Parts: sequence; C-alpha cells; structure tokens
Amino acid sequence: MTMPQQTFGGSTQPHPGRQSVLWTIFRKEFREIFRDRRTVISVIIGPLIVTPGIFAVMGVAIGKKVEAAKLEVYTVGIVAPQSAPKIADALGKTPGLQIATITAADAEKQIKDRKLSAVAVLPADAEVKIEAGNTVPVQILEDAGSETSRGAAGRIQESLSRFGTQLITRRLRDNNLPADYATPFVVTEKPIEQGGSTAMMILSQMLPYILILSAFTGAIYAAFDQVAGEKERGTLETLLVSPASRRDIVLGKFGAVVGVCLISSMLAIIGFMLPFITHLKVFDFLTQGNIHLQPTAIGVILLVLLPLSVLFAGLLLAVSTFARNQKEAQTYLGSLFPIIAIPSVLSMVIGDNAGMGVALIPILNASIIIKQALNGTYNPTFIIVAFAASAAYAALALLFAMRLFQKESVLIKA
Amino acid sequence: MIEVERLRKNFEDKKRGTIRAVDDISFACQPGEIFGLLGPNGAGKTTTLRMLATILEPTSGTARINGFDVRSQAQEVRRSIGYLSGSTALYERLTAREMVTYFGSLYGLTASDIASRIKEIFTELDMNEFADSRCDKLSTGQKQRVSIARTIIHRPPVLFFDEPTNGLDIITARTIIRFIRRCRNEGRTVVFSTHIMSEVETLCDRIAIVYRGQIAAIGTLEELRERTGKQAFEQVFLRLIGEEDEEDDLNPDDTTGRNTKQGGDGNLRQTAGGGLTAVSAGQEARR
Repeated sequence: MTMPQQTFGGSTQPHPGRQSVLWTIFRKEFREIFRDRRTVISVIIGPLIVTPGIFAVMGVAIGKKVEAAKLEVYTVGIVAPQSAPKIADALGKTPGLQIATITAADAEKQIKDRKLSAVAVLPADAEVKIEAGNTVPVQILEDAGSETSRGAAGRIQESLSRFGTQLITRRLRDNNLPADYATPFVVTEKPIEQGGSTAMMILSQMLPYILILSAFTGAIYAAFDQVAGEKERGTLETLLVSPASRRDIVLGKFGAVVGVCLISSMLAIIGFMLPFITHLKVFDFLTQGNIHLQPTAIGVILLVLLPLSVLFAGLLLAVSTFARNQKEAQTYLGSLFPIIAIPSVLSMVIGDNAGMGVALIPILNASIIIKQALNGTYNPTFIIVAFAASAAYAALALLFAMRLFQKESVLIKA
Repeated sequence: MIEVERLRKNFEDKKRGTIRAVDDISFACQPGEIFGLLGPNGAGKTTTLRMLATILEPTSGTARINGFDVRSQAQEVRRSIGYLSGSTALYERLTAREMVTYFGSLYGLTASDIASRIKEIFTELDMNEFADSRCDKLSTGQKQRVSIARTIIHRPPVLFFDEPTNGLDIITARTIIRFIRRCRNEGRTVVFSTHIMSEVETLCDRIAIVYRGQIAAIGTLEELRERTGKQAFEQVFLRLIGEEDEEDDLNPDDTTGRNTKQGGDGNLRQTAGGGLTAVSAGQEARR
C-alpha cells in the first residue's frame, strides 16, 4: 500500500451550500433506509401484498362459510306439531330442514346438547287461529351463541314467512280482495349516483385508522435506525466530524423519515384500495357497492397526511435521538404507541360531523378529515383549523428533535 | 497548526456529580509532526480529541486547528481535519464507493473531484476489488481501508487518530501505522492517541503523557527519558505519572519493562499487548 502524494484541502475547499448538504444527507438516508429489509417489509410488502392478501384469505373463508351454510341441513324440533299440521307440513317441506317432534319440556335441553339446532314452539290452538284468520304466535328457541343454531332459527323464520305470504294471499282471495290489499307500500332503495355505498362506509370507517397507523409504523424502523441505530453502530461519530452542521444532519434525516411516512401511507391507500379496484371475486364480501374517491378527496387526504407525517417523524426521531440504542428506542415506543393508536381508533366511532374542538386534537383531527373526505362532506373551517393545529404540533415535534440533537449528553457516549 | 489552550471538559453524572474528564490541557503541534497522547483508558485522551474535532464542546479553554477556533469556527475546523478512531464506523448498507462519495459530498468536493480522488485513493490503497461491495460484506482490514479513504478524501491538513488500532489484527494495525507515518511525511499535522507504548515509541515525534485528565509531561522520547533517568518507556511513563513501582527502584536499570506488570498502588496494569489499563484500588486488592 502506498499513499498518494496530495495537496492539502481543508478550508480551501469550496463550501457546499446548505441545501446541497441537506440533499446529500437526505439522499443517502433514503437510499440506506430502503436497503433495510425491515423497512422494505413494513413499508412496501406489508401494505401492497400482506393487506390485500389478508382480505383475499378472509374473502375465501367467508365465501366458503356462506356456501357451507346454504347446503347445511339443520335438525330442528317442533313442539305440538299435531296442533298445526299445515305449519308442520310447510316446515317439513323446507329444503335443509329435518324435523323432529319433541315436548316443550325437552326443547331447551335438546338444543343445549346440540341434538337439535333450534325448536319452533307452536301454540295448541294454532290451527284454529289460522282458520279463523288470526295471528299465530310462534316462539323459536335458539342458542344465540351458536352460529348453527342461529342459522337454523333463520331458516325456520324464512319458511314461516313464505307460508305466511301464502296464507295472506289465500285469505285475500277468499274475501275477494286484490292481491296488493295488504301491501300498502312498496318501498325500494336506489343509491344516488354520487352517493356512498356499503363499501364506501367500510372504507371511511377503516381507512383513517389504517392510514395513520401505516404512516407511523412504516417509519418506526427508519427513524430508529437514523440516530439510535447510528449510535449503536458507531457511525454517528463519523458523521459528526464531517462539516455538516447538526441542524443539517437532523433535518436531512428528518426529511427522509417524513418521506418514509408519506410513502408508507400512500402504499397503504393503494393496498387498501386494491380489492375495490380489481373487483376480484375474493374481495366481494368487502366491495359490495361502488367506490367514488374524488380527486379532491385524495388531495385533502394528502394535505392532512403531510403535517401528520412531520409530527410522526419528529416524535420518532426524538425517541431515536434520546435512546442509546434501537432496543431502548423500542421500549420507549411502548409508551408512545397508545398515544398514536387511541385517537385513530376513536375516529372509528366518532362521526364525520365532529365539533371544532376535535380539530385541535392531533391525529384524531386528521382521522376525521380523512373520513369527511371519503364521505364527500368537507368542512373547510374544520380542515383549516385541523391543518394549522397539526402543523403547529409537527413544528413542535421537529423543534424538540432538533433541540435533543444538539445535546451532546444524549448524542455522545461520555 | 494545532494550539490547545487550557482545555477543560466536565461531565455531569447523576450519581457522581461533576466529573472533570479533561483538566486544563495545553499543547501545540506543528505540520509534519506526529504528536502522541499516551495514557491509560479513561485518562481523557478521547475526550480531548473529541473536543478538538468539535464533537464535544469544551467547558472552558479553547483550541485552534489550522487557524480556526474550535468554539466559534467549528465547521471550518471540521473541514480541516480527518478523524479516525475505533468508534468511527462505516455505513454497512452502503458500498465502499458510496461511503467515500457521501463524505466527499459533505466536504463540498465536486462530483468530478470525488471521482478522481476515489480513483486515486482506491488504487493506492488497493481497494478497487471491493469498491462496489457493501461495507457489511468487507473484512476488518478492508473496512479499515475504507475508513482511511473516508478520512483523507478531502485532503485534510490535520489528522486525528484515536486508538485507531484497537481490536485490529497485527496486519491491519500495521497498515494504519504506515498510513499515519505517511501522513507525517506528507507534511500533515497528526495527533495520535493510544495506550500502547510500542506504537508511541515507533511513531511519535513528541509525546504528551495524559493521566487523570491532565498532561503529566510533554517532550520527545529522549527528553522524557532524560527527565526521568529511565530507559524503558514503561518506567518513564510510570515515573512521570507518579505511579512508579517499588521494583523499579530496586532495579533502576531494568529496561525490559516487565516490572510494570504490577503497578505501585494498583492504578495501572500493563496489558498483554503492551497497553495500559487503569484499575481501581478495589480491583487491585482482589488480585
């Protein structure tokens, strides 16, 4: 090994502009972050493959269950069938029902022992009441905790309902009344073209929660790797002896974490939307109805996610700076996680017409706006207040992280 | 080139209160000189170098590096120095080339300058074979060469080496020693901290003996020998810090240094590699 003859540089070198240093640090951090397998899994593979994959598995499982329920033959009991042979006959002819005659005293025990799935208890004067044109009270005994029992009870109800329709038709005919005499209203539902749907409702309930948690969890590894990881591996000291100022270092790292938060949430949106876009059969259980996600809604979601990502990046970077290593950072995360998760869970139960006070609550305000955006019910004042509040919290988090990064006691092992 | 004036560093500890790690240290060193800081672990060598490299802020006193003040011109100081220590590691997910390019950019070199410097340094340090391998795939020796390349990419006139051979095998350590010697030959100012006496004897033009945060003595090896009347450097060292072994007095001509294996009051022990380790009186009593 021979050393090159050199002229000295030192202070005679051209000084890179601050933007150039920031950009250099940002690019390097971003490149390194996405070479970390943990980040690739949590930011890319998780939302784009695992989330739709879980939905697909759920779809297949639910589909199979529905099919199996249709084909299942339930053994049900009838108490006092001799009192209403016509009802017993109607139930007996119902496909998927196997009838057993039992006494009222045995009924509950038989259900409990799983010998019968459900029992229809007919009154002793049932036939008389039918013939007299009166209402017959029928009690269905079921085990509310058993899916099979509820399925059997449902099938008895459907059968009795069909038989009841036949009876009404016959009674109307016997009394020379028109067939629609007992049907004063024919009610139909028609979803408006730009309105919501079941799918949209599910989306507006779940997407805020998923987006917020994705933005946060996606950036955890990246943020913890940035400072705590560097301290642990001994690379932070290498960086601190470079001419980059601590402010530039923290801002460059911070920018990279914000970027990961945003990418993570974007990919979470795409992953969650995949079932609705692809219209695959396995996603039918989730996608009954149309999704109308307007460009304005996407714009509003992005607008809300920006300060939220800055807030998360600031918090995570502060934890990462304070911790001596990544393991310690993970311990602190245990305390931080509920603060993030609880407001996003709350958004699932709070309506999109929340009061202005909610606009000041970080994370929850963003969840509500995402919900509003998905339902197309924008409240510009709420959005402005929430954006301003989130931006203020984000700035505080960033300042806190920067202040912490200046403290040599947390940065350097003495 | 380096002027250190009454540099002091205190650390606050919740249990022990204020700890003075460096206590009014002053020294100066010139271009083309290797200045050694020799002392046991915990003597204050690393803290001193970290203050000179502006990683830590001095509690009082100051230093000028290449004409720049470490307190008020920290960025200029960092531009003027190369810093290599056992704790300046590499980014494992970057390749050797990316690592050196990154630091070249931070030092403000242009892309073409970085490319030509990398070509030059990688050839000289025989790094082309692993230039595009990720740092986590490199051997210890290869990693050390990447660290050297990172340290000199911006042609710094001042170089700090903080126990750079710690934990390295003899071949890799020799590479570092040769590199430090070349830096001196090129006219750079080199400050070299170690607790390994043989390295000091081999490399340093002048030596500062650092003990308990203070400089116990400064001079050339010959000057220090003359001052203490001892030949073996271990004995010179122990006499200068006032920890001389009774056996030293019994065998004043012993030049083997073996007798330093038992410290006088138990504060210092020579390690197998010829280094010195501070041990507490309690530890010593248990031996």
